[in-house]
Amino acid sequence: MGGNEGLRLLFDELQRLDYVIVGHKVVDGALRLERVNEFNELAVGVEDVQSPGRYSLVEGDFFRHGPDSPKKFLYPSELVLFKVSPDWSITSPDVKIDRTAFFGLKPCDLAAIKVLDRVLLNVDEFYTLYRENMAIIVENCTRPGNTCFCASMGTGPRARDSFDLAYTRLGDKLVMEAGSELGIRLLNALEVEPIDDVTYGDFVRVLNEAAEKARAGFEADNLPELLELKIASPVFREVAEKCLGCANCNMVCPTCFCFDVIDVPRVDGSAERVRVWDGCLNYTYAQVAGGHFRPDLWARYRHFVLHKFTYWMKQFGTYGCVGCGRCVTWCPVGIDLREAVLKLLRR
Amino acid sequence: MSKSVATLIPKPTTIVRVRTETSNVRTYYVKLPKDVELPKPGQFNMLYVHGVGEVPISVSDVDHRTGVVAHTTKFTGSVTGTFTYLKEGDLIGFRGPYGKGWPMDSSVGKDVVLIAGGIGLPPLRPVVREVAKDRARYGRLIIIYGARTPKDLIYSYEYGDYEAIPNTELHLTVDNPDEGWRGNVGVVTDLIRQADVDPEDSIAMICGPEIMMRYAVKELLKRGFKANRVFLSLERRMKCGVGLCGHCQVGPYFVCKHGPVFPLWFISKYFWVDQI
Repeated sequence: MGGNEGLRLLFDELQRLDYVIVGHKVVDGALRLERVNEFNELAVGVEDVQSPGRYSLVEGDFFRHGPDSPKKFLYPSELVLFKVSPDWSITSPDVKIDRTAFFGLKPCDLAAIKVLDRVLLNVDEFYTLYRENMAIIVENCTRPGNTCFCASMGTGPRARDSFDLAYTRLGDKLVMEAGSELGIRLLNALEVEPIDDVTYGDFVRVLNEAAEKARAGFEADNLPELLELKIASPVFREVAEKCLGCANCNMVCPTCFCFDVIDVPRVDGSAERVRVWDGCLNYTYAQVAGGHFRPDLWARYRHFVLHKFTYWMKQFGTYGCVGCGRCVTWCPVGIDLREAVLKLLRR
Repeated sequence: MSKSVATLIPKPTTIVRVRTETSNVRTYYVKLPKDVELPKPGQFNMLYVHGVGEVPISVSDVDHRTGVVAHTTKFTGSVTGTFTYLKEGDLIGFRGPYGKGWPMDSSVGKDVVLIAGGIGLPPLRPVVREVAKDRARYGRLIIIYGARTPKDLIYSYEYGDYEAIPNTELHLTVDNPDEGWRGNVGVVTDLIRQADVDPEDSIAMICGPEIMMRYAVKELLKRGFKANRVFLSLERRMKCGVGLCGHCQVGPYFVCKHGPVFPLWFISKYFWVDQI
């Protein structure tokens, strides 16, 4: 099936099924995940160039992602928990969820949703409600970027499960796989043809080649144990020398789930309590009234690394890192998580 | 409404009494809201000050008959600082009780050694009450408590009651004595060294500043205590109390959910790691 035309049909079919569509748009020189009303609003003809501490968009025919991940919608950066009036009557705002289809997510972001499911599904009801009314159309990643390492984390570049529909662009051909009943329905509406041997061969080859470009130089096997053995390593101090403690890595991470709760007093004497994203690189993260448990940046950076690769496995039975590379790209000083892990493993 | 939201919504309840303990410590007695279970020794509650913020405060006493729960707090932070303005009859937001408490069941038949520093005594007071109430269930009760100055010793008005509990010893020490002080001077570690305890037959429960707990644990280990006989109540930043906000992690453990009371063996891999 023809590439762009097929995607347009898919987009229209999802709208016909009453899905609000969230996809990649070009905003201020970056790809952002936003609500999209028309197919033409979706980013096209651009490529994201990513490297440690660098991000730009150039002309091209394939892109990965920008700073946003599905977390932006499933786990909003600001959520009012409740309002309390001057006389202590407490009300919680009603949460309205649109049936949402994520269009063209890359496998790393699909993997991030699977990670968040372990943490938040049936725990956070906003997340759960969103998740239950959500469709995932994933685009297999034929050209991983410079900061990508999904193949090392076992999350990409080909999505294997947990999607409704996965598509792969091969030149002007579109290879489609259904992963759910909705996916089968969509395939039927699109009038696809069975794949021929030559195209299937290309499909496998292209994605295998892509996997080779998405490796970090380490394998995920035994990583939790191997890294925990390095808990006292000076490497954390060395890497964190450059760190600014800005917590950009936490904010762009598609799985970071920590939150703070802030109080917003109003002039009428009422107040709101608002859940906001927080991150372990922030100075106040481990601070208490009587002292500070991680005053030094290296200790906060160590917590970030060990949480993603070691503690997460113990807490939730999965890695907290999906290899999307955002923390590498959006770090203002270009600290490379892959290099940090490699250094830790070597020494 | 989300469940994580629902679990984070406090219930307003009344402060029935405020008791001044020291110049910067007071105890707030609040009525447990309806359908809230009675806290067990070592558990904590999240207390919310209207428009200011919410803080985890350990339970320092429970009146099982009236359902009134005591919280002793020092005015140190931006939220506890505003506790000074709260008075009898005021409302306060309540969530809890949270966390795992002291090992009362595994202490049955054993000597109970309580080691507290500064504001670390309040979470241990429910243990004293429990032992006093069911005296035959436990062996000797040994309370070791240290503070900066004699004026910082919390609950000094009831030390006589502690000593009146059969088979009970109370050992106090201060860093900086004043003129009237006749007791020990020095750190609690010295008292642990001198205490007449049988490590084979005792359970130690510790609460205090982390640095004090490290020295206390070292001393107990030197004296022959096994890591499964030593329990600590840890402090960390907490915004949720239910293992969601992430702040209280010590290695892979959420202090609010897996603790705040931990057996030493459980956390020994992380307890000694600098800035874990």
